[in-house]
Amino acid sequence: MVAAIDTGLEFYRQVLALRGYRQEVLSADIANASTPGFKGVDLDFAHALDAVVHQRDRQAPAKSQRLWLVDDPRQLAAEDTGGDHTPAAAASFIKYQTGSEVSLDGNSVDLDQEKTTAADNAVQYEAATTFATQTIRMLTIAINGSGSQQSGGS
Amino acid sequence: MSLLGTLAIAGSGMSAESERLSAIASNLANANTSVAPGGQPYKAREVVFQAVPADGADDGASAGMAGVKVAAVVESPAPNPTVYDPGSSFADENGYVQMPNVNPVDEMVNMISAQQDYQANLEAFNVAKTLALRTLTI
Repeated sequence: MVAAIDTGLEFYRQVLALRGYRQEVLSADIANASTPGFKGVDLDFAHALDAVVHQRDRQAPAKSQRLWLVDDPRQLAAEDTGGDHTPAAAASFIKYQTGSEVSLDGNSVDLDQEKTTAADNAVQYEAATTFATQTIRMLTIAINGSGSQQSGGS
Repeated sequence: MSLLGTLAIAGSGMSAESERLSAIASNLANANTSVAPGGQPYKAREVVFQAVPADGADDGASAGMAGVKVAAVVESPAPNPTVYDPGSSFADENGYVQMPNVNPVDEMVNMISAQQDYQANLEAFNVAKTLALRTLTI
């Protein structure tokens, strides 16, 4: 049963981690919009999520994934099988943006495009949080037997 | 937590852009600052940006993420113009005054660019903040 709760929420955890990571990538592009020689990058979200989810599926029979509460990420190194640390696994899906105009100082960041992509990513992030909230609410209803008690209380 | 790294990156962008704005303000303020003969006239200052590993890269998650910093403030190599103004107290024996090499048009264009970049960073900061707060309501 706990495993079922885990699998329901684990997917959204991965989505939120990747969306947050992509937001950071885009924000780094925006911060370097005037840095000479800087090349704009982006996270290939679809492929990154695909890889993270399938990695989890492969590992699921052996050992279910848990969030480790540690002070230092290096404490995880011995037992970390590579799939738990989502953004680190996703770093290989960072790709250079192509098609935008490169200015004379070698900068390829298109500020308008970055802002649009970041806004889109933010909406997707909020959508994922909404879905996660709904999943939790569903589980709560299942545990309580009905939602009437909870909705009456809140 | 990558969203907090986003805040650090956007913050580095805002701080670099505001340094750029203050260089522009300094240039515009000194656009007409002449000096006595033999003195060194004001040179326009320009900031040079450089990508640096983000401050928030403490958990390994931010590998490859770059904030921005002002690597150097360089003086414009453009020659200082001289203006014929024999009435000025700074005029040399031929009546010429050395003026700063500040081009106000360049500075204004630069200022618009800096303002837009600052706003974009602020927007990125606010979005990250909204998302982080939204996450707390799950």
